[in-house]
Amino acid sequence: MSTDVMIRMTGLRVLYGSFPAVDGLHLDIRRGELFGLLGPNGAGKSTTIRVLIGQRRPTSGTVTIAQRDIVRDWATIKPLFGYVPDRENHFEEFTGRRNLEFFGQLYGVPRLRVREVLKMVELDEAADLPVRGYSLGMRKKLLLARALLHEPPILYLDEPTANLDIHSAEVVHRILRERVQQGATIILTTHDMDEVEKICDRVGIMCRGRLVALDSPLALKQQHTERKVDVIDIRGQRFVFDLDDPTDRAKLGALVATGQTASLQTREFDFHAAFLKLTGQAFQ
Amino acid sequence: MRWYILQALLHKEAARHMANRGGIALAILLVAAAVLLSVFAPPEATAEGTNVVGGVHHCYIEYDRVTPLIRHLRANVPPEWKSQIVFRELARAEMIDGVIVYPTGTGALQIRQPRAVDSPTGRDVVHVAIWHPDGEPTALAAYEQWLWREMRRAYDELARQKLPEAPLPALPEFDADNRWLVLETHQRFQEQVEALRAATHPDVPPIVPDLAIDRKGLGGKVLDFRAAIATGMVVFALYFACVYLLPTLSCEERERGVLLAQALSPASPTELLFAKFLFYPALGLSLAATLAGIYKPDVLSSLFFWLALFAVGGGFLGIGMTIAALAKTQRAAFLGGMCYLLSVSMVLLICATNNIPFVSNLAVEYHGPRILHAAMSQTVDHTHWLHLIAALWLASVWLVAAGWIFRRRGWQ
Repeated sequence: MSTDVMIRMTGLRVLYGSFPAVDGLHLDIRRGELFGLLGPNGAGKSTTIRVLIGQRRPTSGTVTIAQRDIVRDWATIKPLFGYVPDRENHFEEFTGRRNLEFFGQLYGVPRLRVREVLKMVELDEAADLPVRGYSLGMRKKLLLARALLHEPPILYLDEPTANLDIHSAEVVHRILRERVQQGATIILTTHDMDEVEKICDRVGIMCRGRLVALDSPLALKQQHTERKVDVIDIRGQRFVFDLDDPTDRAKLGALVATGQTASLQTREFDFHAAFLKLTGQAFQ
Repeated sequence: MRWYILQALLHKEAARHMANRGGIALAILLVAAAVLLSVFAPPEATAEGTNVVGGVHHCYIEYDRVTPLIRHLRANVPPEWKSQIVFRELARAEMIDGVIVYPTGTGALQIRQPRAVDSPTGRDVVHVAIWHPDGEPTALAAYEQWLWREMRRAYDELARQKLPEAPLPALPEFDADNRWLVLETHQRFQEQVEALRAATHPDVPPIVPDLAIDRKGLGGKVLDFRAAIATGMVVFALYFACVYLLPTLSCEERERGVLLAQALSPASPTELLFAKFLFYPALGLSLAATLAGIYKPDVLSSLFFWLALFAVGGGFLGIGMTIAALAKTQRAAFLGGMCYLLSVSMVLLICATNNIPFVSNLAVEYHGPRILHAAMSQTVDHTHWLHLIAALWLASVWLVAAGWIFRRRGWQ
């Protein structure tokens, strides 16, 4: 096994009754990689994360983290990761600082670190207010602060920027990039395609428990960009030419050569379209 | 088991209660009630402790004028009745349209003493009117006995003052009931019959025999109501901590996902559960011991009391853990606690009223109050030790059952 692989899933299968939530997943996540896990609702992303955080045992297949088996060596794996759930789970009656101090005590980190992470997620001014008074965005940032407390080498983030304003989302992106630069491995699930394109090194798209695409956002872009050209001729008529079709290519060449084109535009890559195309195909 | 993690978890539980002060408020109210019970009704006030004699909480001694009899009565109120007997002049009684009004739960002994000049016999008259609650003619019996006894003593003293040389009859042997009255009446009747027999039929042997009455106490004592109230508070403290707070707050953490967050930290499931199952019983036992100590400090040095407290606390801990394992949400845990309480109360009531044997013995709540009450009223006998053994056995059963359910259903 390559030491560059931080997380390895081999033939991972998770059944809920007879329904396969994850169906034979083979996936390697490299050390220091920011990996985006995408998919429509019910695709198996959350179940995969649940397996990774030890809340669900694989029905079959193996999962290793830092070359340790997730079931057998669970106790030694636990301190290696931080987890930001999709649903916030704080002690509402405590202040933000008290919440972090409690978890800091469990992780055995000094109080100074609490101050650092609060500042990092820009919650230092609201740190002494009870969490019940926090907005959804502040709660989300507090979750991230909690996950970062013990500076784990692995981060699992379930929609970390949902409900965040643009500025806060930028802060989160900056923190994640910094963590990756420091060598951390991050798995991120999200429905925000722009976010994936912007910060992820690699993307895996899941559908019906299976991995239907796996590559860098740029490669996916190249693979799935529609090579089509929209043309309006001098009479105002619209045409769409597929550049992969020799007939269309010849027609387009003729139009351009005779000077009958009023407007000509290549289509931009659309991650949403690529996602829908991939997951739609998988459904079919 | 790592101490720094246990310390953090225990501190967290305490901090949660400091932040949500409902539990603290209830604990303070219980302590205040125990202080009131202890301060305003000290142990020597009454054996029975409720300050209710025969269903009457106050008896008014009302008089038209202050005479040596009234002064004697005032000076000879038994110490345990000092707060129940109220002397007042008839003229000062609360009246509506010329009729004296008595609050519910009270009665009155009115003593009117017309002067000799107004009497057809030429002697002073003592007219005693007994005003008892409607339908309860014996409600004032205890006060009446006291009145007749003290009245006899008052006139005996007066006679000895006025007739210092006269061979007055000795005072009868007063007791806690009307035995002396019965004996005196019997003796007088015997003397009258004997006088007549001697005068008219001397050959007939004596007709009326001598009378002797013995009164003996049973081994058991009357129910000590003050101890019963204090026992109720002690049992409630244990129930509140172990059957209410423990499951509801555990389920709240589970429902909110905070338990998951703790489970993903370095704290092991054993440490998380141990901290919870240490904190709440400790809280319940401390509160219960505080309440018992305020009511009767001596009880804290009693081995039986501590054994009883641990037996009841252990039983309630098992019940609370079972509810915590079965309930998924805070609301379910609360309703589980309520359902348990109601169903056990109903079963105990039905069994008691219908003389159904054995079933009650299966409830911790059947044995618990008995052993705690015995410990707090210091009336422990061998039957209470049997109850204690039964309570310890039931507590063990509950704890084992709770552990098994936890393993089956998963602690999260």
